Amino acid sequence: MKIEFKDVTFQYYSEEKPVFEHLSFTIEQGTTTAILGHNGSGKSTIAKLIVGLLVPNAGQILIDDVELTEQTIDEIRKRMGIIFQNPDNQFVGVTVRDDIAFGLENHQVPREEMIQQIEKYATLVDMKDYLDKSPEKLSGGQKQRVAIAGALAMETELIIFDESTSMLDPKGTKEINQMMRSLKENFQKSIITITHQLEEAIFADRVMVLNEGKIVLDGTPQVVLKEKDILEASGLKLIDGLDVLNRLEKDDFDHKSSIMEALWELIFKM
Amino acid sequence: MNDSIVFGQYIYRNSFMHKLDARVKLISLVLMMIGVFLIPKDHFILLGIAFLIPILAILFSKISLFKYLKSLKQIAFVMLFSFVFQLIGNHNGELLLKLPIQFTVVNIAIVVLALIIYFIVRKYLPFKFLIFVLLLIGATYLFRYPIYGHIIHSFDFLIYQEGVIHGLFLIGRVFVIILASTSLTLTTKPTDLTNALEWLLQPLEWIKIKTSIFAMMISIALRSIPTLFNETNRILKAQASRGADFNESSLKEQIGQMVSLLVPMFVISIKKAEDLADAMEARGYIPGEKRTRLVKMTFKVSDYMVLGAILLLFVLLILGKCGVYAL
Repeated sequence: MKIEFKDVTFQYYSEEKPVFEHLSFTIEQGTTTAILGHNGSGKSTIAKLIVGLLVPNAGQILIDDVELTEQTIDEIRKRMGIIFQNPDNQFVGVTVRDDIAFGLENHQVPREEMIQQIEKYATLVDMKDYLDKSPEKLSGGQKQRVAIAGALAMETELIIFDESTSMLDPKGTKEINQMMRSLKENFQKSIITITHQLEEAIFADRVMVLNEGKIVLDGTPQVVLKEKDILEASGLKLIDGLDVLNRLEKDDFDHKSSIMEALWELIFKM
Repeated sequence: MNDSIVFGQYIYRNSFMHKLDARVKLISLVLMMIGVFLIPKDHFILLGIAFLIPILAILFSKISLFKYLKSLKQIAFVMLFSFVFQLIGNHNGELLLKLPIQFTVVNIAIVVLALIIYFIVRKYLPFKFLIFVLLLIGATYLFRYPIYGHIIHSFDFLIYQEGVIHGLFLIGRVFVIILASTSLTLTTKPTDLTNALEWLLQPLEWIKIKTSIFAMMISIALRSIPTLFNETNRILKAQASRGADFNESSLKEQIGQMVSLLVPMFVISIKKAEDLADAMEARGYIPGEKRTRLVKMTFKVSDYMVLGAILLLFVLLILGKCGVYAL
């Protein structure tokens, strides 16, 4: 799914300053994009604009060359799924099974097909044994996995992770990150992950860094990670070792290029 | 997190009543409520037949009678008072009993004192209700004999036959309905009940009332209760850790504490509602739009049989009421 922002301006009406002005970018179909930024940089607003929960004050948002409007939103929404930040507040069903079914019911999927989809995707996110459990009995990571299963079951072309790990414990965060990576490798889907953790962005094809409503960095993780100063100025915490690596880059020593290459590879394997 | 939160009264058992379709149970309850109030005044045989239905439901539910009686306890006071009102107010039929009542200062003082003591020590008493009734009987007995002092006022407390019969009948009616509705809530999951209610209200869709929206509202409210309950506990603990004492503070302080509990709860609820609305909208929920359902309710043979039996009884009652034959 191709997403195009054209000169988008957005302002919450309770606030004095717009979140961003004249923002333009294009996300190509089938790619994994990470949108990085500190709290309040406007990254979550982008997610809400893409799924049509917010409407831009000016400019256009094009999804596969169709403009996002009141008329087109219902059809376009069927093709995207979003996993929000708070695992509790997005759990609609009384049980796991109900929750995965919720989106399917909305899309009027026949019952027999629904049952198959639920089985299939609950197995995929490793929640099959929990189908009849209620949300109070699940951990945060498990609830987010249910949300992912719900999005996958709708067979959407795009999945957006809107800070999906920020309220989870380290174990839950790890689970969800692994799931994102495996989604990227095994499914032909567009993925957008919105985060303030550099670690969660390095597996992406492309990283966009947002600061004060502007895109300050845009490129492959390899390119972005080298811009230590801009990353720090954008309020992001650097990955362990990145600092050392950037300092080494300035020095001169024997076999520099091969050593540096090996070290960079290590960073990306983390 | 607290695992023991069970909302509603539902108790899981593997019984006939639990397997019965929620719609059948709901329809039966509605028919019973109408039926019980259609029973002609003081017709104890018909009431007895109506009484058999909740008795059968209790027998087939594998839930101990104690749980049912517990729900009766909550309404026992109301039942007692309606009985007493019937006794006092109904002056038809034969005179059964004549109780001369005489108020004196000492009599009144003793009774008032006993009541005050009762309300103070009530917390620690077993069989509260029984003791209260004994207290009332004792008070009546006491008022018959002027112990000491000047008689302020005296009258005769008269009990007539019809008052007793009608009072008993009234209690019987409420008894049957409470037992029946308790057996519904004890054996049916709240979600099943919501689904049944939505199914039952379907005809309203023809006059353009979106019943599915109401059903969704109910099920989301049900889903939120345990979450909000956990949230409340969290805030209470947070405030207790900062020195708030909820048990031993004056009424004025308690009101203040309630406010400091309610305000964050209010904010949390609104935030939750907003997030949930976003999540639902993003997942394609359009209020009132057609949706398919994962839950499929099917009538089994046993469902038809129970529904048939209840309907038959109801129709027989209606026919009798209309005067086709004498009841």
